[in-house]
Amino acid sequence: MNVKVTASPDYTLVTVEGRIDTTTAAEFEKSIMEIIDGGCTKIILDCAALNYISSSGLRVFLIVQKKMMSIGGHFRLSSLQPGIKEIFDISGFSAIFKVYADHDAAIKG
Amino acid sequence: MDKEPITKILLVNNQIDELARVAEFLEELGDEWDLPMPLILSLNLVLEEALTNTILYGFDDENQHTITVDFSFDGEILGITLMDDGHEYDPTLKEDPDITLAAEDRQIGGLGIFLIKKTMDTVVYQRKENKNYLILTKKIKS
Repeated sequence: MNVKVTASPDYTLVTVEGRIDTTTAAEFEKSIMEIIDGGCTKIILDCAALNYISSSGLRVFLIVQKKMMSIGGHFRLSSLQPGIKEIFDISGFSAIFKVYADHDAAIKG
Repeated sequence: MDKEPITKILLVNNQIDELARVAEFLEELGDEWDLPMPLILSLNLVLEEALTNTILYGFDDENQHTITVDFSFDGEILGITLMDDGHEYDPTLKEDPDITLAAEDRQIGGLGIFLIKKTMDTVVYQRKENKNYLILTKKIKS
């Protein structure tokens, strides 16, 4: 798994590549929490290159969503691959996350 | 499609870093049995969820244990049976999470078994001779 962070004045774009699973979820959580602890309240997570997620990864997504809601920030997801979208649908996560077709759409909101 | 089933066995130690080897094994299995990549990723998810539970919570000692994962495919039904010698645990009894709740009310975690049930067509648990068997099947659309 790789995480790339691009900060701009209005939001932080996070690009995640590879797998968020039992072995990488903690590292992913740490990367995102560092961004939030750094004062960022708007995160767009580009998932175009995320090709696998398990319940360990979903757990982190939910933690981040709850955290962002509690500080009045927002957490938007873009470009989910079909397999990931399916897992979001099954888990009920499609209803609790703002998911956009691509990151331009996520910026517009 | 009443073909003689093909079978393959994977042995997994009770260590989390074994999951990387499981993922590799599944990719090879996909090539060999000509299974589509989205299905392989779904099966990877199922195995990760089942094995993570067993590896982290299934054993009451610090010893090395081997989990046997048995694959079979007759051209129509793919079967996966996981067998371990951990303490008795029937994951099928776990209550499903309420997926209609809003984010603030959703509990963190508890999705693993649910994802297995939703991905596979049948999920059966058996306890025989001090071993746990989790028997999973999925019909493969051709």
